[in-house]
Amino acid sequence: MLELIDLHRRFGETVALDGVTFSVPEGAVVGFVGRNGAGKTTAMRIALGVLAADAGEVRWRGAPVDLAVRRRFGYMPEERGLYPRMRVLEQLVYLGRLHGMTPAHAEERATALIDRLQVVGDPGSRVESLSLGNQQRIQLAAALVHEPDVLVLDEPFSGLDPTGVDVLAQVLLDEARTRGVPVVFSSHQLELVERLCDAVVLIDRGRVVADGPIAALRASRARRLLRVEVRGADADWYEALPGVRLDAAVDGAVVLELDDEADPQRVLDLARAQGDVRAFTPVEPTLAQLFREVVDEGVTA
Amino acid sequence: MTGRVWALVARRDFWVRLRERSFIVSTLINLIVISILIVLRALSGGGTPGFELAVVGTSAVADRVAASADAFGMRLALAPYEDAGAARDALAAGEVDAVLEGETLTGLHAVAPQLTQAVQAAAVSLRIERRIEALGGGPEDVAFVGNAQPVAVGVLSPGAPDSEANAGIAFIVVILLYGQLFGYGVWVASGVIEEKASRVVELLLATIRARQLMAGKILGIGVLGLLQLTFIASFAIGLGLVTGAIELPASAVAAAAIAIGYFILGFAFYASLFAVAGSLVTRMEELQNALVPINLFIFVSFFISIGALADPDGTLVTVASVLPGSSALAMPVRIVLGAATPTQIVLSLVLSIGATAALIPASGRLYAGAVLRTGARVKLRDAWRAAA
Repeated sequence: MLELIDLHRRFGETVALDGVTFSVPEGAVVGFVGRNGAGKTTAMRIALGVLAADAGEVRWRGAPVDLAVRRRFGYMPEERGLYPRMRVLEQLVYLGRLHGMTPAHAEERATALIDRLQVVGDPGSRVESLSLGNQQRIQLAAALVHEPDVLVLDEPFSGLDPTGVDVLAQVLLDEARTRGVPVVFSSHQLELVERLCDAVVLIDRGRVVADGPIAALRASRARRLLRVEVRGADADWYEALPGVRLDAAVDGAVVLELDDEADPQRVLDLARAQGDVRAFTPVEPTLAQLFREVVDEGVTA
Repeated sequence: MTGRVWALVARRDFWVRLRERSFIVSTLINLIVISILIVLRALSGGGTPGFELAVVGTSAVADRVAASADAFGMRLALAPYEDAGAARDALAAGEVDAVLEGETLTGLHAVAPQLTQAVQAAAVSLRIERRIEALGGGPEDVAFVGNAQPVAVGVLSPGAPDSEANAGIAFIVVILLYGQLFGYGVWVASGVIEEKASRVVELLLATIRARQLMAGKILGIGVLGLLQLTFIASFAIGLGLVTGAIELPASAVAAAAIAIGYFILGFAFYASLFAVAGSLVTRMEELQNALVPINLFIFVSFFISIGALADPDGTLVTVASVLPGSSALAMPVRIVLGAATPTQIVLSLVLSIGATAALIPASGRLYAGAVLRTGARVKLRDAWRAAA
């Protein structure tokens, strides 16, 4: 398990991290979500030792992380970085060797990754001569070449075409499921996070505001919403019900928000009494809605 | 494994640059400049003139001239010809400088005065010997009269031997060292910027320490500079011997060894400063500004060292040859010119090594504090604090 424990970091007067704590179990894919400037990149850079924390600790399998342990991590920085004039294969082999691989093993792994990530282009060509999407794939290969024990990826999906997104998603799932690697990545593409991740960590203004499996998050955080469509009823038919409030009215249907005392069965009874019920479904909030809700709560709190 | 990481970095920096077009071009330019200097020197008579003399038949005069060539300050090769016509053809074709047939010396347009004098003297001494023998003199009479150097030659105050030849070597040494120290220093700085600007440094520093990265880069580029310098020096000595511009191979080899030694010392001193300068900025265009203080220091040292060619014992030159940094250029000049005392040499070595040993940890800290900061130029004070 990779653990980030009570990380604090300031840049001058700005508080970037204000006690960030979360963990990534082995074999799990965790999405790291938050607005721009919330502290995602700072937390990831601290996990990789590129930045020092003012306070707090990063642990891997229970022990504090040092340079020797970090050499077994795979990292994709937010600002992509490769030697632009170095040749693709040569560069991956070099990075593999910095992580302690033998030349032969590094070359074998690099070649396999270039193939698996469907990089289009000659492995003997310079990185700068590849398209941006292919450079992105090489960047991912650089994070994977040494068969890392942990994967920390900052915005790995940004800049990829849909095929690239699928390839990368599959690679991340494979790493987690078959090799048991803990994978944490940040992303603004919340549908993707929802589809891919076992758990999410929501960060806002340097603090973790929600953390856990998406289903649990939904159950604990989400407002209870019902979408009801009734033919022939008055527009305000639901107003007599205690604890029920209108959230939105769309195309003849209403989305009702129920508080804790309100009983959905009573809503259905009243609706049937009012007219012909065409639709009655609980509304599952998307991760994007959950995210907005949690962040808004933080703003008003 | 961790101990070998800097070696991997060094190897990458070495091989990548070895294949760069700019490396090949700079090597060629160096070779061309050195060749021009050496050929000019050979043409300006700095070396011993050499002549090829065609000899028709057997000639006692020719043998005597050949034996006394050194005394006349020239090298002489004899080319025997059976036939006078063939010898003249060779002269007309420029294969030989003159033809000696009996007591007739023939040149194409003129005969070099040195050669003429040597041939005349040989002929005169032969005639005198024969006449003495004819008058009944014994071998001791012949030896007494035929002594080529009856006058003892001495000087009141002996100067440094071959001082003119050494000034030429010292000039080449200082030009080469300045070019190598400056050129390879800039390569270190721009290598640091390349990693900063491309952001690959973040990937690297997730794996290795900043100081390992800096050390490896300096080492890789330094070894390349050393090999290039050794190659150029070997080429220069070879060319100098072939053209006759270098008369004393031993002193030329010694000068090359001194140049290489002081390149190692100087590069060790300057390279970490260049690395820090590179780590402070993010774009190549900003590098010139960041390098101003170092450039100024190296240039002033170079200027003083050029002055040392004329006056190797001046106060300024002597001080500069001992101080770390400037000693890398000024001391080799004074050593080649024979002006440096052993005490001064030892002092320059101790100060240079001591200063470098103090400088590298400080530079390592500044580099580590600055290299991950992109954007505006990093202030030295901030870099120092960041890596605390």
